[in-house]
Amino acid sequence: MAEVRLDNVVKNYGSLYAVNHVSLTVADGEFVALVGPSGCGKTTTLNLVAGLIPISGGEIAIGDRVVNTLDPKDRDIAMVFQNYALYPNKSVYKNLAFPLQMRRLPRDQIDRKVKQAAQTLDITHLLERRPRELSGGQQQRVALGRALVRDPAVFLMDEPLSNLDAKLRVQMRSELKRFHQDLEATVIYVTHDQLEAVTMADKMAVMNGGLLQQYDAPAEVFAHPANTFVASFVGSPAMNLVPLKMVEANGQIALASPEGWQVWLSPERAQVARRASTNAVILGARHSTIRLHKSAVPGAVAGQAYIVEPTGDVTFVQVKLGAAVVIVSVEPSVSVAPDEPVWIEFDQSKIHLFDGETQNALT
Amino acid sequence: MSNATAAAAPRRRSDGWRWTGRVYLVVLLAFAILPMLWMVLTSIKTQFAALQYPPEWWPSNPTISQYTTLLDPTSDVGREFLTYLWNSVWVSTITTILGVIVAVPAAYAFSRFRFPGRRWLFYAVLLRNMFPAVVFLIPLFIMMRWLHLVNTQWSLVLTYLTFGLPLSIWLLKGFYDNIPVQLEQAARIDGATRFKAFILVVMPLSSPGIIATAIYSFIVSWNEYVYALTFLNDQSKLTLPVGLQRFFTEYTTNWPGLMAASFIMSVPVVVMFLVLQKYFVKALTEGAVKS
Repeated sequence: MAEVRLDNVVKNYGSLYAVNHVSLTVADGEFVALVGPSGCGKTTTLNLVAGLIPISGGEIAIGDRVVNTLDPKDRDIAMVFQNYALYPNKSVYKNLAFPLQMRRLPRDQIDRKVKQAAQTLDITHLLERRPRELSGGQQQRVALGRALVRDPAVFLMDEPLSNLDAKLRVQMRSELKRFHQDLEATVIYVTHDQLEAVTMADKMAVMNGGLLQQYDAPAEVFAHPANTFVASFVGSPAMNLVPLKMVEANGQIALASPEGWQVWLSPERAQVARRASTNAVILGARHSTIRLHKSAVPGAVAGQAYIVEPTGDVTFVQVKLGAAVVIVSVEPSVSVAPDEPVWIEFDQSKIHLFDGETQNALT
Repeated sequence: MSNATAAAAPRRRSDGWRWTGRVYLVVLLAFAILPMLWMVLTSIKTQFAALQYPPEWWPSNPTISQYTTLLDPTSDVGREFLTYLWNSVWVSTITTILGVIVAVPAAYAFSRFRFPGRRWLFYAVLLRNMFPAVVFLIPLFIMMRWLHLVNTQWSLVLTYLTFGLPLSIWLLKGFYDNIPVQLEQAARIDGATRFKAFILVVMPLSSPGIIATAIYSFIVSWNEYVYALTFLNDQSKLTLPVGLQRFFTEYTTNWPGLMAASFIMSVPVVVMFLVLQKYFVKALTEGAVKS
């Protein structure tokens, strides 16, 4: 096991920066998720750590070794691919044995390790089969087994669950987490699914456009998103973000919409809002922090119910506030009809304020 | 009841199509097989029987004397024939081996690497196939004279390579395109060098393609006539197609002998094809259909 350190890592194709000066450290035994939408540079970052593509700038170290120019085989890593990349012409046994054979281990040792890994992953009965005779979940386990047999310093996983059906994905998610806990392995896990990152990772690195947006524990990222991108990417449904203008009256600050509705800020919040570079401020609020009233309440904003989506546990109501649409969650017992007039109350202590110009969080 | 009639009607219609298809295939088969059958039948007739008119449909006194003569190294005819046969085997085998050695890495490079001029080069490779072979006869002859290769079998090997390689590379590239790059990446992470990953993981998966290209280049060189006729003069260096032509002029009346020689010439190709045809079919469909 080892620590992985990325220092100002760059991968560019001419003027196109796939990975743009990314720095982060994965501590020994930590499970780190790289998340972001497609094309954000997360897989490229993983491939740079693996050594599958040459690095353009910066430094990558595994343990206390800088690995920039090392071949993948010399980096002491194992990787699980999205399509599993099992060798189709080899049996499961031979797939698992391959990394050990490449390292010229004695035959009896290979046999012992393969059987041990197979037992851990409960695939002993599949050892003689070919990959194409296995189900998706079984292939997934074999791929994991092939990474596991070698006891590498770092596990790299590139969307390993995204080819599984929904039910199996949830099951494998817990198994992977358990696997990490038991092995105390250093894992770098790429996913586009923020839920996977939040549920499994010790830390998540949110990327967009080749840039690292935020790198912190999931709870921290959820509670204090660094900018509007992170705010809208992490959490489902996404955080409500309403672009407003800051106005001042009688020493108090309100955020006003073009249609004229206003949210008055508490003195502490007002102080935060003043730090914005212009008077454009984006108001962010998660669905669970907004209260919905069916009659006018002081400080609440009048709106109109637009779409009502019951999910069983909770009902999501999309409320139209002028041109903006805000998602609010309510108890299933609350009945709201579409087009019904409703009043929305923001919880001052739980709203997020972002600079309308830079999109960064105001703190 | 109504279900049964509904099911029967479309079947009757498709029956019509099926029979049309069968008739068509039978005609096609007859067209392909009958000349070969006639060749075999004639080759086991006596010389007299072969010239009879109306023809003797089934040889009354079958004999394999023509074959024994042709394959007998002590007779003049046999020696000549075996020389041609050996030359053909030699030229075709060397062409095939060299072809595979060049086509495999070339196709892999075209499939996997991004290098300047890649597209341009790839189309340049195919350019040769846009022109009829005869167009290149004189230019290639002049080039071979520069290289002092006229009247050597290397001139043929070189020529056949330039003809066979484009399709081989094209075919193999399709194969490599369909092998997920992650397999090689996995192998490299598992401890293989790039080269080892290619040998241990990619090569076994592309073996049907390699076999197919090998068959293709062997058959093309085995059958080629015009270049062999132009580039070679020495009787001792001739390949079978040209050699057979010589038989026509020297032994005009010996039809059974000619047919026996023709039959022997077709045997290697047919046998090879029968044994390896499943790879050939796989290769041709693999490139087209994504699994």
